[in-house]
Amino acid sequence: MDLTDKEYVERCRDGHQEDFRVLVDRYQKPLFAYLAGRLRDGRQVEEAAQESFVRAFLSLKKLRKPESFYSWLLGIAGRVAKEQLRSLKHRQQDCEVTESIMANAADSQEENYPLEEAIAALPETYRQVILLRYYEGLSCQEIATRLALPLGTVTKTLSRAYALLRQELAARESAEPTVNQTELP
Amino acid sequence: MNCAECRENLVACVEGLLDHEESLQCQAHLETCAACRAEYTAITRLQRQLVARGPATAEVSLVKPVMQRVHAIQTERERNSIMTKLFTRWGFGLSAAAGAAAIILIAFLVFPKAQATAAEVMTKGAQAVAKLTSIHLRGQVRTYPADNFSYINADSPFYSIELWKQFEPDLKWRVEKPQRVVVMDGKSTVMLIKSGNTGVKLPQRTTSAFDTEWLHRIANLSNTISNELDNARAKGWKLNLTEETGTDGRLKSVVTVLAKSGVPDNDYCKNTFMENADTRRVYRFDAQSKLLESVQIYLTRPSGEVQIFDLSQIDYNQPMDSSVWKLELPADVSWAQLPEQLSKLPDNEKYASMTAEQAARAFFEACARKDWDEVGKFMSPVTQGSKDYLGGLEIVSLGESFTSKTYPGRFVPYEIKLQPQEFNVRVSNANAAKRCVVTGMYDSKLRLQQDFKWSTEPEVLTNNEAYARLSPTEAVKAYFDAQSKLDWVEMRKFTSESDVEETKNQVEAAEKQGMDVYKLMPVMEAGEATWSAEQSAWFVKCRMSQTKKWNLAIRKDNPAGRWQVDGGF
Repeated sequence: MDLTDKEYVERCRDGHQEDFRVLVDRYQKPLFAYLAGRLRDGRQVEEAAQESFVRAFLSLKKLRKPESFYSWLLGIAGRVAKEQLRSLKHRQQDCEVTESIMANAADSQEENYPLEEAIAALPETYRQVILLRYYEGLSCQEIATRLALPLGTVTKTLSRAYALLRQELAARESAEPTVNQTELP
Repeated sequence: MNCAECRENLVACVEGLLDHEESLQCQAHLETCAACRAEYTAITRLQRQLVARGPATAEVSLVKPVMQRVHAIQTERERNSIMTKLFTRWGFGLSAAAGAAAIILIAFLVFPKAQATAAEVMTKGAQAVAKLTSIHLRGQVRTYPADNFSYINADSPFYSIELWKQFEPDLKWRVEKPQRVVVMDGKSTVMLIKSGNTGVKLPQRTTSAFDTEWLHRIANLSNTISNELDNARAKGWKLNLTEETGTDGRLKSVVTVLAKSGVPDNDYCKNTFMENADTRRVYRFDAQSKLLESVQIYLTRPSGEVQIFDLSQIDYNQPMDSSVWKLELPADVSWAQLPEQLSKLPDNEKYASMTAEQAARAFFEACARKDWDEVGKFMSPVTQGSKDYLGGLEIVSLGESFTSKTYPGRFVPYEIKLQPQEFNVRVSNANAAKRCVVTGMYDSKLRLQQDFKWSTEPEVLTNNEAYARLSPTEAVKAYFDAQSKLDWVEMRKFTSESDVEETKNQVEAAEKQGMDVYKLMPVMEAGEATWSAEQSAWFVKCRMSQTKKWNLAIRKDNPAGRWQVDGGF
């Protein structure tokens, strides 16, 4: 049973909290990649990713647009990452290592996380093939089998997804990231 | 290959999905066309960025740790909901003690004094069990043994109902009545309807499921108080408090709630489920310990009150045996498909466009033909029991469907003639009167359906000799004969008091529904008797021909939009 994000969010809200597992499974890798672009340190990234999911779970009832679950999740993750960096800065203010981590993280912001934000902005059909292809490592044929679609439909969807991603990335090059201005949990 | 064809095939080309010749054509075009080459380069650049994500996240496995944290939060929420749910709604998220004080204060501000003091007793009751580790409720309810957990029937005898609920170390629960049981073992929630040999599985943890919410609410006093106070405010339910001395000589605070379901009196489903019933609920608290000790629920009808639920045993924080969380499933259990998982058929439209009456007819006609694949399009699962019961039926009539305010589907009145059913009656004369009496009912395959409990030995009759001379088959014939004539005194000579009472209640209930009972009474035939050394009893082979007149509950609120038979046999 492959439901949409909206349907899973609604099921979780209706008491099927166990279905949250599907949403974690669906977005753990892109979320991890997004946080890795901000935090670098593997342990920190994992902690932040877990924390983001748990906060999302706790705030699920407040999500006004369940179809935008992933984009909303990235917003939460962005705040979690900021908090982690801030607390790290406070804890080790005098430590040079921290400064270098902070510097790395600051450098990396530009180059890495817009891609995940752009993926989050894709309509779900296109996002799904991108996630399956690059984060789950499935071939086009495997995606076709998984989604019970003709191979041609998968390549066409992928082609359209690339075009949309490029548009989104181009738009972001000249603008500030918007994901944090979406719904607050 | 031109530009349009090249663009269309570009992703397939990048992915290496084109055959050799197409690939060469694509490459050749790219070499000559700068615009398409730029497109190709852009895609491969983006792809490189994306490909880099794969290895970096290959080992990521957050599901388990996240779900562990989610479960821990859920359990804590459920355990603390005794207080938290109550306080977030009524006490504005204060601490337990402050929250309780706030509720009492609010109750005094919002409600008349009598109601406020009743609310205060309930709040203190919730506070007394604020950190519960487990609870066990044992009571009895007027219902049918295999029916919905929330189903009530004022004309039915009482049957036992129990709830076991563990809050620590993790949330688990079990609700059971004689023919229906559901277990949430911390991972999934499984219900078994024993008489239908049917299982239903929810692949997730739940805090309540399968219409057990009303019983869970009693186990979670804060929910009860929230519910009663909300309704007192919104619907004008009345709360009141009295005091009395209990049988243990201690002072008891008795909170009575007059609950109105808001369902119109002429609604078909009125008073058939806990949620649809107008009730008087009596909560008895020990005045000193503040603990809830018993609950009685009475159905309040214009014709008078009938007690439908009696909860007399509540065990707090008792250790629970791990076997409680195990559900023994028969090897041949039939699994019901959940309505939300119902998928569309290739010819789904044919079914989705039916009216309720057309669907009921198609369903009964498929049963008549014993076309079980077709029947399966209308119900899940099609058990052997359903096949035995409905197979070969004859439709007498179908009426115009109607609705209930509380049911999302429709009801289709029907009258059907069922194919004769074979069954066995267990008979024994190992009693003081030496008469053959009925001790149990078995299906055609000698599976026990009902064990008749004799609370007292069969009475020695004044003309006992004549009865004692009857063979097992003759005794069963005489039992059937008395039953068909509704001669309860004669019937009692052959069967237990509870069997007579149950038959009597069913007949009275049918009469109240305006049914012609004599016409609908099954025609019974008793055949040969066989001695069972193992059971020390005779088994008399019998046949029953029956006409059934009732209302088929049918609904289509599922993803396939297809009518599904929900009940009403």
